[in-house]
Amino acid sequence: MSANRIVIDPITRIEGHLRIEAEIQNGKVTDAYSAGTMVRLLEEILKGRDPRDAWAFVGRVCGVCTTVHSLASVRSVEDALDIVVPPNAEMVRSIMFVAQYLHDHVVHFYHLHAMDWVDVVNALKADPKKTSELAQSISNWPKSSPGYFSDLQKRIGRFVESGQLGIFANGYWGHPAYKLPPEVNLIGLAHYLEALEWQKEIVRIHAIFGGKNPHPNFLVGGMACAIGLDDASGINAERLAYVDQLLREAKTFVEQVYIPDLLAIASFYKDWGAIGGGLGSYLAYGDLPVNGYRDESSFKFPSGVILNKDISKVYDVDLRKDEEVQEFVQRSWYKYEGGDDKGLHPWKGETVLNYTGPKPPYEHLNVEEKYSFLKTPRWNGNAVEVGPLARVLVGYARGREDFKEVVDAALSKLEVPVTALFSTLGRTAARGLETALVAGWAREFYDSLITNLKNGDDRMAATEKFDPKTWPAQAQGVGHTEAPRGALAHWIVIQDQKIDNYQLVVPTTWNASPRDPEGKSSAYEAALKDTPVANPEQPVEILRTIHSFDPCMACAVHLYDEEGQHLSRVQALG
Amino acid sequence: MDNHRIGETNADILVLGIGNLLMGDEGVGVHFADSLLKEFLPPDVEVLDGGTAGIQLMEAIESHRHVLIVDATLDGLPAGTIREIKPRFSSDYPSAMSTHDIGLKDLISGLTLLGRQPEIFLFVVSIDKVQPLEIGLSPEVNAALGGLKAKVFHRIEKIRSGNSGE
Repeated sequence: MSANRIVIDPITRIEGHLRIEAEIQNGKVTDAYSAGTMVRLLEEILKGRDPRDAWAFVGRVCGVCTTVHSLASVRSVEDALDIVVPPNAEMVRSIMFVAQYLHDHVVHFYHLHAMDWVDVVNALKADPKKTSELAQSISNWPKSSPGYFSDLQKRIGRFVESGQLGIFANGYWGHPAYKLPPEVNLIGLAHYLEALEWQKEIVRIHAIFGGKNPHPNFLVGGMACAIGLDDASGINAERLAYVDQLLREAKTFVEQVYIPDLLAIASFYKDWGAIGGGLGSYLAYGDLPVNGYRDESSFKFPSGVILNKDISKVYDVDLRKDEEVQEFVQRSWYKYEGGDDKGLHPWKGETVLNYTGPKPPYEHLNVEEKYSFLKTPRWNGNAVEVGPLARVLVGYARGREDFKEVVDAALSKLEVPVTALFSTLGRTAARGLETALVAGWAREFYDSLITNLKNGDDRMAATEKFDPKTWPAQAQGVGHTEAPRGALAHWIVIQDQKIDNYQLVVPTTWNASPRDPEGKSSAYEAALKDTPVANPEQPVEILRTIHSFDPCMACAVHLYDEEGQHLSRVQALG
Repeated sequence: MDNHRIGETNADILVLGIGNLLMGDEGVGVHFADSLLKEFLPPDVEVLDGGTAGIQLMEAIESHRHVLIVDATLDGLPAGTIREIKPRFSSDYPSAMSTHDIGLKDLISGLTLLGRQPEIFLFVVSIDKVQPLEIGLSPEVNAALGGLKAKVFHRIEKIRSGNSGE
């Protein structure tokens, strides 16, 4: 131990802690409760502020999702004030969105989720020559020689022995749920490191268009960057060519590394195509407009709702309708003025704390009463899952050819039926498949921006309504997007030029929320039901399903047996 | 409040403030970075408001020879206490210096694996509690900013004189 070693209590920088309490019987989860144990009162911070500044505050909710919250925020204000954003700004927003997806999904796969499937210690047993043959059989990616894998193995071996590195010390290595041959594990480990190198490239796009990264700049009415092909100091032809190069390299990485790895790993875990499905109902708001945010028919990601695994029918979504999206607090530590049994549309949303839980530290939450700081959103009363699987299923069910092509190719390669999508494996696969789609669409947004600039349109913001004197006394708006983790919307009410109400309904609220007044579970709780758990001390199976949602919180998993005995406490970064 | 453009200067030294601006004293690192960014900085020093980012800070960290990280800590010491730590391994870092998927600690581990870890100094400021709903600093922590700056620049002087190793 180093003399400088220190012990420090956790400090949460993020939206909240996630806690799962799962009951286990005969090696399976029989019931699960998902709780957000840290309060978030961003809504109250925003009240009374200038609506044009809201994007900067919401951008600080999370270090990873800054762009998506800022985007939803400026869209909500633009919606309220009826501001039409110029095409250049729409394209820049879409290119930043694409960069966010490429970064977030690759990092999620290799740096969080892969370790649920890839046993990095077992990779040391791999034969470098066989690894090389396998790598070359699934991809043209050049870094695949026996020497490359052999060098990597030697380097990693020294770190594993030293025990100094968290990534090798904290896993459940050797757990029987790990099924990959050593050679596949070694490929996964090699690409863990290559993805680490790669991810720093793609985020440069945020610094180019947003001025800085992390926490790039947004602007109500457009984007805050000067652009012009011949502009010496702003974003000119040279910088745009660099964006083009980064997008091309990202596409190659997704096609030659991420997707082949995903399919190779999935082929050893086909049983997970029948585990972790959960609700079977899905919601997507849609995003990535080709013809402006107001033209929903031009969205690359279509919007819609699928209920009870029936992909023959897709319902339309209207975020303005009072009864469609509602939040409930019957099981959440809040109170509503009109009673906790009713749902409220976010424009009428209330955020008044009412903590009735135990004083920390505690062993159990009282899950019969209120047990979470997350509210419970419902769509027309239905519990729905949001995220990559929802988006891919909605695109597929809407009959979109691009979605059908990638989904059917993956299903046929893995030799599994379409019903295998309703699962933990399906969720993880959908994230990769939509990354491939997004990488392909990037070209259209880029070309469209260049064409527009060449045609002499250099407008980047609509400024005629930037002055609050031009605003009506009262206005309300909603701004939505598809964050990497799922459907995200911000609802704003503006009164006398100030924010009167502001409500965020974030993807992890849809997925990780507590039960509704009818006792129905949300997505996490439903997905954990019937999950096998071979060893409650090492619940890697539970982590697989929770991580497949890409939770936007640090995650503490607690397990209890049928007598309510505390079995283990597992800290996992989620 | 714009950051200096990372990677476009030749600065050897990075001062990286991290924390959540929406959680009161927890955001002390960001407040400190913002205060430095308002001043005239020597050409060999860059300052970055790292916010709550983790892995996204890789390029900023690996492109400097010396990185001075400023962060808050709940270590039970009186609020406003400043300590300088020279972490050797990722396990020497505060336990939850991380965001949702891969945090600063994992990033440091990754840089070690890639053989590209710069010399890192960690300045931690003790805080009493994490206050959601607060954007400003408490009087105790605010009063520590001056001492923090003195300590950080003392370290920068030592780095410049080639005497930074412990």
